[in-house]
Amino acid sequence: MVQSVPPERGVSQRVSFKCDLADARNATRLLRAFLAEQGLDESEQFNGELCLAEACNNAIQYATGPQREQAITAEAICHSAAIELRVTDHTAGFTLGGPRTPLDPQRENGRGLFIIQSLMDEVRYYRGEEGNVLVMRKTRTHQHHRPADAAAHASLDSAREQLEYCQQTISGMARELCFRSESLSAIFRCCAELGRTSDLEGFGHRLMNDLLHLTTADWFVLRILPAGGNQLEVFAASFPELHHHALPFTAGAAEAAPPAELAAARTRREVEFAAAQTAGDEPLRLAGAGASGLVHPLLFGDQLLGTLAIGRRNSDPPLSALQTGMIRTFAEFMAVQIQNARHHEEQVHARLVAHELEIAHRIQRALLPRTLPSLPGFQLSASWESARQVGGDFYDAIPIGDHAVLLVVADVMGKGVPAAIFATITRSLLRAMAVRSHHPARLLKRLNELLYTELSSVGMFITAQLVFVDLKRRHLVAASAGHCPVVLRSGETVRTLAVSGTPLGILPETTYQQQTATFAEAGGLLLYTDGLTESQNSAGAMFGHDRLVEWFRARPQLGTAEAIRDELTAELTRYRGGAPLRDDQAILILAEDSGTEETTPPGHRSDPEINHMPALTRDPATAVATHSTSAP
Amino acid sequence: MKIEHDGNNLRVSDIAELNAINASAFRDEVRAAMPASPHTIEIDLSETRFVDSSGLGALFALYKAASNNGHDGVTLRLVNPRPSIQQLFELTQLHQLFEIARR
Repeated sequence: MVQSVPPERGVSQRVSFKCDLADARNATRLLRAFLAEQGLDESEQFNGELCLAEACNNAIQYATGPQREQAITAEAICHSAAIELRVTDHTAGFTLGGPRTPLDPQRENGRGLFIIQSLMDEVRYYRGEEGNVLVMRKTRTHQHHRPADAAAHASLDSAREQLEYCQQTISGMARELCFRSESLSAIFRCCAELGRTSDLEGFGHRLMNDLLHLTTADWFVLRILPAGGNQLEVFAASFPELHHHALPFTAGAAEAAPPAELAAARTRREVEFAAAQTAGDEPLRLAGAGASGLVHPLLFGDQLLGTLAIGRRNSDPPLSALQTGMIRTFAEFMAVQIQNARHHEEQVHARLVAHELEIAHRIQRALLPRTLPSLPGFQLSASWESARQVGGDFYDAIPIGDHAVLLVVADVMGKGVPAAIFATITRSLLRAMAVRSHHPARLLKRLNELLYTELSSVGMFITAQLVFVDLKRRHLVAASAGHCPVVLRSGETVRTLAVSGTPLGILPETTYQQQTATFAEAGGLLLYTDGLTESQNSAGAMFGHDRLVEWFRARPQLGTAEAIRDELTAELTRYRGGAPLRDDQAILILAEDSGTEETTPPGHRSDPEINHMPALTRDPATAVATHSTSAP
Repeated sequence: MKIEHDGNNLRVSDIAELNAINASAFRDEVRAAMPASPHTIEIDLSETRFVDSSGLGALFALYKAASNNGHDGVTLRLVNPRPSIQQLFELTQLHQLFEIARR
C-alpha cells in the first residue's frame, strides 16, 4: 500500500567539524561520496561539493574570536527529485544578494556566493540565535525512484532526525523573532522619549541599558568624538568606574597595541576585546579582569562619531551571532541619533546668530536721530544704509545752544551686537559731553580715555569725525580720530579737510589735532563713513575720495541738503551698477540755505577770519585755516 | 605539483585540487617560477578533480601577474579541465581570459 508509506523524506548525512579549512575540506569530500552513493551524476556531485565547500569556507573565513570555537555543521539530504545542502555557521551573518548579475571576469575574489546562487535552484539564509543556516536546493537531473517500501525503511530514521532538526530550527526562529521584536520596541521607546526631551545623553543611557538587557551583556562604554575634536570622550557608561579619561584620537597614528576603542576608531571596524589578553593601560580592563566583548565604531557615512564598547564580565558564554548583529544595529541607530543632535545644534546656533543680527540691526536703527535738528540758516540731511553684516556706523547732529551744532560720523570697527553697543555708548557719551564740543580735539581725547579699556579688551576700535559748526560766525572746527576726511564746499570751491588722529581704543593716552575753516560763500559740508568711498563697481574699482570731491565740485550750485543727499545716493547706486553694498554707509550733509546772504547779519562779513579768507573761492590752498592745536 | 621550464615557457601539472587550503601556495609558487618574459604558461588540469572559488582566484592572479608586467602576447593555457570544472570557468567568465586546450 503505497499510500500508507509516509511522504518521502530523503536520506541525509551530516558532518560536524571545527572551524578549520582542512577539516571543512574533509567534510565536503565525505558529503560528495554520500551524494555519489545516492546515484547523482559526476556534474551534480561536483556542483554539490563545490557549493558545500564555498559555504563552509565562508563560515570559517568570517568567524572571529569566540565564534571560531564553535563547530560548523554541513549536511546533504537526498530526496528522489532534489537534493538539499545545509551549512550552519556562527558568524555575524551576511546578506544574500538579489538576483545574480553577470560576473566581471576581472574580479579577484567574492565568487563564492555567486557560484552557489548560480548552481543551485534555490538559496536561503536564515539567521538564528544558535547560528545561521544556509539552505541550498537543487532539482536532480535523473529523478531517482526507489521501491516504496525500501524508501520507507531507509528514510524512517532520517525522518525522525529531520523532524528534530526542524523543531530546533523553528524554536530558534521563534526565539529570534521574540528577540527582534523586543529590540525594536526598545528602539521605539527610546525614540519617543528623545522626541520629547531631546536629551541625547539620557537617550544614550537608556538605549544602551536596553541593549545590555537584550544581549545579556553586563557593561558598556559609549564614547563620542566631538565635532572638530580629537579626543574620544566618554559620553555614557554602564557604571562610574568605566568613566575613564578621554582617548586622544588621531587618524594616522599607530601604536603597537592601541586600546581596543582606539583600534576600532582607527580601523573603523569591529574589534574584539578580552581583558586577559590586554596590557595594563587598556581602559576596558576596568570592566573586570575576565571581561570580554567587542567595540563597534559609530559611523555616519565616512564620518567617525564615536565608539561603542559592550561585553560581559566573564568571557563565557561568548556573544552569539544574533547578539552581535543586535549590537551593530543599535550602534548604527545611536550614530544616526548623534548626527541628528548635531544637526539640531547647528540649526539652533544659526537661529541664534540670525536673532543676534536682528537685535543689532534694531539697536543700530534706534541710534540714528529720528529727526535732524533744524538750524538757523542751514539744513541737515543724512543717509544711512546697512550691509548684510551689521557693523557700527552711525551719525548724529547735536544742537549746541541756538547757533551751533556738533556733527558726528563714526564707525565702530566690529560686527553684530557688540559693535552696536559701542555705537550706543559712544553716542551717549558724546551727547553728555556736548558742552565741550567747541573744542572737538579735547572731546575726542576724553572719549578715548573713557572707552579705551573696554574697546581694547574686546579688540575693537572706533573711528570718528567731529565737526563743530558755529552757524552765526560761519566758522567750523574739525577733529578726527582716524576717520575719513570732511569735504567742504564754499561757493564753487571744494576742499578736503583731513585732520590726522588715532582711532579711539588704540592708545590709552593720545591727543588730537583740530583744524578750523570758514564759509566765505554759501557753505556745504559732507561727512561720511568709508562704506561710501569703498563702494565698488562691477569691475571691483572703488568710488574713492577723489571722485567724491570731484562730484561735489561739479555741482553747478550747492543746492539743498536733501538734494545733495538724494543726488549723491543716486550717483553711488549708479556707480555700483547693481553690485551689492559691501559695508555700512553713513552720510551726513550740512548745507547753507539758499539766499543766505540776505539773512546773514551784516556783522558777519566783518569777521576778521572771513576777511583773511577771501581766497577761499580763488585759491583753495589758503581757504582752510590750519592753525592746528593740540588738545591739552 | 610539478613545474617545468622550457625557455620562456612554463608548464605546471600534477595538480590534485585548487582549493581554499592550497590556492595561495599554488599562486605564489607558480608566480615565483614565472620566467622574466613568459611566452606560454600552461596549467595542466588533467589530474585536477576539484577547483573552488579560491582556486579561481589564484588562476586569475596568475593571469594578472603574467599580463600586468606588460608581456604582450603571453598565452595562458588550461589543459584538459574536467567538464564540470570547464563549466565553472564558463560560469564565472574566466574562460574569456584563458585558452582552454584538449589533448
